[in-house]
Amino acid sequence: MSQRIANIGEAVVSAARAAAELWMVYISTLAGIWRAITRRKAGRGRPKGELVRQLHAIGNRSLIFIVVTLGFIGMVMTYEACLQLSRVTGDYSQVGPQYIRLVISDFGPTLTAMMLATRVGAGIAAEIGSMKVTEQVDALRMSGVLPIDYLIVPRFIASVVMTLLLSTVACLVMYGAGGLTAHYSFGVNLNLFFDVQLVRMRHVVMMIVKAVSYGAAIPVVAGFCGLRARGSSEGVGWATTAAVIGSSFAVIVLDFAISAAALFVTGGDL
Amino acid sequence: MSAFVEWRDVHKAFDGKPVLRGLSLGVAKGEVLFVIGTSGVGKSVTIKQLIGLVPIDRGEIWFDGQRVDRLRERELYALRRRIGMVFQSSTLFDAMTLAENVALPLRKHKQLRHAAALVEARALLERVHMAEYADRHPAELSDGMRKRAAIARTLAVCPAGPAAPGQLHSGPEVVLFDEPTTGLDPVSARRIDRLIRELADELGVTAIVVSHDPTSVFGIADRVAMLYQGVVHALATPAELRASPDPIVQQFITGQSTGAMETPGF
Repeated sequence: MSQRIANIGEAVVSAARAAAELWMVYISTLAGIWRAITRRKAGRGRPKGELVRQLHAIGNRSLIFIVVTLGFIGMVMTYEACLQLSRVTGDYSQVGPQYIRLVISDFGPTLTAMMLATRVGAGIAAEIGSMKVTEQVDALRMSGVLPIDYLIVPRFIASVVMTLLLSTVACLVMYGAGGLTAHYSFGVNLNLFFDVQLVRMRHVVMMIVKAVSYGAAIPVVAGFCGLRARGSSEGVGWATTAAVIGSSFAVIVLDFAISAAALFVTGGDL
Repeated sequence: MSAFVEWRDVHKAFDGKPVLRGLSLGVAKGEVLFVIGTSGVGKSVTIKQLIGLVPIDRGEIWFDGQRVDRLRERELYALRRRIGMVFQSSTLFDAMTLAENVALPLRKHKQLRHAAALVEARALLERVHMAEYADRHPAELSDGMRKRAAIARTLAVCPAGPAAPGQLHSGPEVVLFDEPTTGLDPVSARRIDRLIRELADELGVTAIVVSHDPTSVFGIADRVAMLYQGVVHALATPAELRASPDPIVQQFITGQSTGAMETPGF
């Protein structure tokens, strides 16, 4: 019994320590961005064009993946909505306006981030984890470079920018795919479906807030997991798995927190 | 004479398993000291502790009259401008050319601009006979070439000011080598040995070398420290070590699979 309590205590302490370290990585990343902006001496040392390389790796290389997956999800969601309505009222007039409102304020950025958490999060953790176990991170420290400035800051900036852009693309793709599905499967009038009268500025703001938050969380969680990799290839594998789980979990928790905060701020009028 | 680098009663355990159990070792300025011992005995851990890459559990580490085991990460950056390290794998950054790899610490430590750092990096690559490969990426080179480039990068770790007293250049005062010849062909290995000896003889650099290579150990070492069961078991010149009657020392240097030495896992 006492051993079980000791194990639970150890797990709690370990989790608290990991949370504190994650928080430090986040704060250090923000400090690194500040150093980069103010061009302080500590900010030097990043390879030239690293930010562009990361923008391309996170954004361009995810585009097809995001378009295809969210396009299909958009089709399935609209099909299911129309199917249920056909069994109850048969009135499809509100499908399009309600759908775009949901897509902008929630499904677009959240599903995009979930997809990026798997693709980008795994990539970041594997790359940084490999550098950690092959002592390249130690070599950076010996060269006078802060590993977070070199490894996480460019990925953080690229991820924030690209999650926002990809979320916008995803909303358009989901909306378009959903509209065509409703039209060809249930004969819904396209003008009726593509009606954006229910969309308000607060929905767009919510999409931006969510996309930026998710974009910030994914590289920090994945980078943190990569920097904790130990041993050899097994350690990198562990870091990659932890990064995907951690990033996805972060997206879901942030979705809940931001949606709850928005409900509170708007007095339930979302 | 007090030691330039010194470990005093250092203890270190990983996951409750002790690796170092009161290690004490002193290294004189300008000396080439080899650290030998079986795998897992704590050789790499020992040298990494000097530069704060592995924290100690107990004991003290001193460098040039300054206690360094309690320094914070930011304070360690100043220390790392005086101590360089060549890692077991060359640890060059794949996305950069050799010149850019060597230029990185110059930009960080000496605050040189990119173009000026590249000029100095080429000069350092020339010192290790790698100037003609300055624009190549690490993946295009052999292990031996990468090791030499990594040594050039280590030489780029330098104080911003002039050379320290008794120092022949403004580069690192101490260079730590973690198995520099492992995995290399004999010719490349001897070239690395010659480079290490040149650093000590021509530039006054103190070299602490972790190695399993007997040719290196008995070829270029001033002294040899043999680690066994978490402490320095023997500390002697190569000639003294060869003549040592200690059965553990003899078993290790002659490479016998059976004998007085306890080797966990066998």
